[in-house]
Amino acid sequence: MSNQRQLFQRLFEDNSKKVYHLCYGYTGDSDSANDLMQETFIKVWQNLDKFRNQSQFSTWIYRIAVNTCLSYLRTAKRRATDELNDTIIENYTEEPSEKQEQVALLYRSIAQLEENERIIITMVLDEIPYPEIAEVAGISEGNLRVKIHRIKHKLTEIYNSNERV
Amino acid sequence: MKEFDEIQQLWHRQEPEPNVSFEAILKRIKGNKAALARKLLWQIVAVAPATIILLWMIIAVQFSTWTTYLACVIMVGCVCYYFFTQLADYHNIRKSHHLLAKPQDYIHYLKAFQQKRNHFNTRNYAVYEACIAVAFALYSIEMYFVLPFWTFVGSIIFIVFWFLICHFVFMKQYIHSENERIEEMIENLERIKGQFRDA
Repeated sequence: MSNQRQLFQRLFEDNSKKVYHLCYGYTGDSDSANDLMQETFIKVWQNLDKFRNQSQFSTWIYRIAVNTCLSYLRTAKRRATDELNDTIIENYTEEPSEKQEQVALLYRSIAQLEENERIIITMVLDEIPYPEIAEVAGISEGNLRVKIHRIKHKLTEIYNSNERV
Repeated sequence: MKEFDEIQQLWHRQEPEPNVSFEAILKRIKGNKAALARKLLWQIVAVAPATIILLWMIIAVQFSTWTTYLACVIMVGCVCYYFFTQLADYHNIRKSHHLLAKPQDYIHYLKAFQQKRNHFNTRNYAVYEACIAVAFALYSIEMYFVLPFWTFVGSIIFIVFWFLICHFVFMKQYIHSENERIEEMIENLERIKGQFRDA
């Protein structure tokens, strides 16, 4: 039990931030992202004994996180919309700085992508290796590279057009 | 105008961080277990007395017609069916190996699960409702011999009226909203499944 706890704690410390980014990118608001991150790690705990060393722990955790995000759309009729991202700015206690506003704009731009694009791009932004992203998304690496190229272009365009507004 | 590299730098400088600690998650894991156990306990608390009373009636009360015994058996069957279906559902939710599947397979599972739930909440519930109606109809034969005529007529009118309200008002509304909900959900799942297609 204590070994399992130690392992779980290590997994949490190593992966929680990236899982949170993934959930934030997917949902577009921090409260839901925190909920989904918690839910993901609860499932990680419940399934620790099922981990078979066929992939890295991080890949396995991302897979659970992605599927948890997909369930989110199913259970809540919420979608990442522009107004949700206003909460990103509201979450700061002080006057939002230019950098914070840019981050909020970035999340707002990610929210305008399709669901699988949001998942892929947050992993790309977090510099997760392509083979790992391909495994998490369940697509071939070749296909992933094509998708990433397209999503990067699309996100850059959306971000720049949002910045102009 | 920003290039993607600049956007990526911005991403790495972001401040939003998870505000959930490791301890909070462990606490919630324990809480979840307790909540599930509590929910199951309440289900048992609700179902057990009803089953015991019905079984006691079958054994201890001398009914004058066999149709009443049959009505009791149908009622026990309905209550047990409801209870075991709930139990199976909890078990399925906890059996989360689907979570480790590829996203496209997971979406397929979600779709199948939702459709199954929809059948249970609509079609199976209609069968359940019909069984209870049959049980009441069978019991009314006994009531006919026991109760004064007008009391009997009044009771039958009340029961029929109640069933009609349940079926044509509550049930219709429920099925309508449930079907609408499931259609939207399936539509969303289909759309996302299309996005994950490996082509």
